[in-house]
Amino acid sequence: MRGETGQGMGDEAELVRKLAAGDRAAFEAVYRKHNAAMVRFATGIVKSRATAEEVTQDAWVSVLKSIGGFEGRSSLAGWMFTIVLNKARTRAGRDGRAVSFDGAGEDDNLAAAFDGRGRWKDMPELWEEITAERIIAGRSVLQHVNAAIETLPPAQRSVLVLRGQQGLDAAEVCAMLGITEGNMRVLLHRARLAVRGALDALA
Amino acid sequence: MLSCKEVAQRASAMIDGELGAWDTLQMRMHLAMCKGCERFIGQVRVTRDLTKAAGEAEDLHDVDDLRISAILSQLHDGKQQGG
Repeated sequence: MRGETGQGMGDEAELVRKLAAGDRAAFEAVYRKHNAAMVRFATGIVKSRATAEEVTQDAWVSVLKSIGGFEGRSSLAGWMFTIVLNKARTRAGRDGRAVSFDGAGEDDNLAAAFDGRGRWKDMPELWEEITAERIIAGRSVLQHVNAAIETLPPAQRSVLVLRGQQGLDAAEVCAMLGITEGNMRVLLHRARLAVRGALDALA
Repeated sequence: MLSCKEVAQRASAMIDGELGAWDTLQMRMHLAMCKGCERFIGQVRVTRDLTKAAGEAEDLHDVDDLRISAILSQLHDGKQQGG
């Protein structure tokens, strides 16, 4: 079920209460669910995995310190990722880089796939071998997917992690990144096409 | 009639259920006749599902235990300093 259901909101309130009370098991569960995605998201902004890990670690401390002030106006995940974004943005700024998520200059990878009349030059493959359980070239298909996400430009990567992996509400993602819903859809599609290209290379 | 290129551009919107009635009809008409696009839409659907699965809770390693302890200890330090 999605987080916005009544049941989901009740679960989230209970989780917030446990986090505020310093419940280690609750924190471990939240960390396990979000940490890797937070690092993937932050790496797109600060450009180095080591820095992204520092930023994420710092964000977790802030999350726990300020969880008492979480009012449920956004989802808990959206609130936590906003803290990661703010920390990463500050760090990028300190390193002299501005952060923008409009995706200008980011294109999709299908431009050469069609002839002059917009028909496939080569028929797309049937992906019978591409399943979550498969190990290809020493890595699971899911690890290949995350590796492909880590090569995406920042705007596509951010939308794919927040919307495609964390399942955040579209309006929440747009507000966080300062983009329109139309722009978000284009970025999500381009990001999926890039990951699709990486999977197609395994097929 | 949509071209294959136009179908590919609408693939995510279609599998996410975000197309209007007219666009959906146009897509269905094309897909009924085009094996290439049918396969492509299938690939994008698999990509969407595997992306979601790849973002689900990951196993914790020893380094994560250390990091969790470091985060919690910073919190306790802060409380002690504050109180």
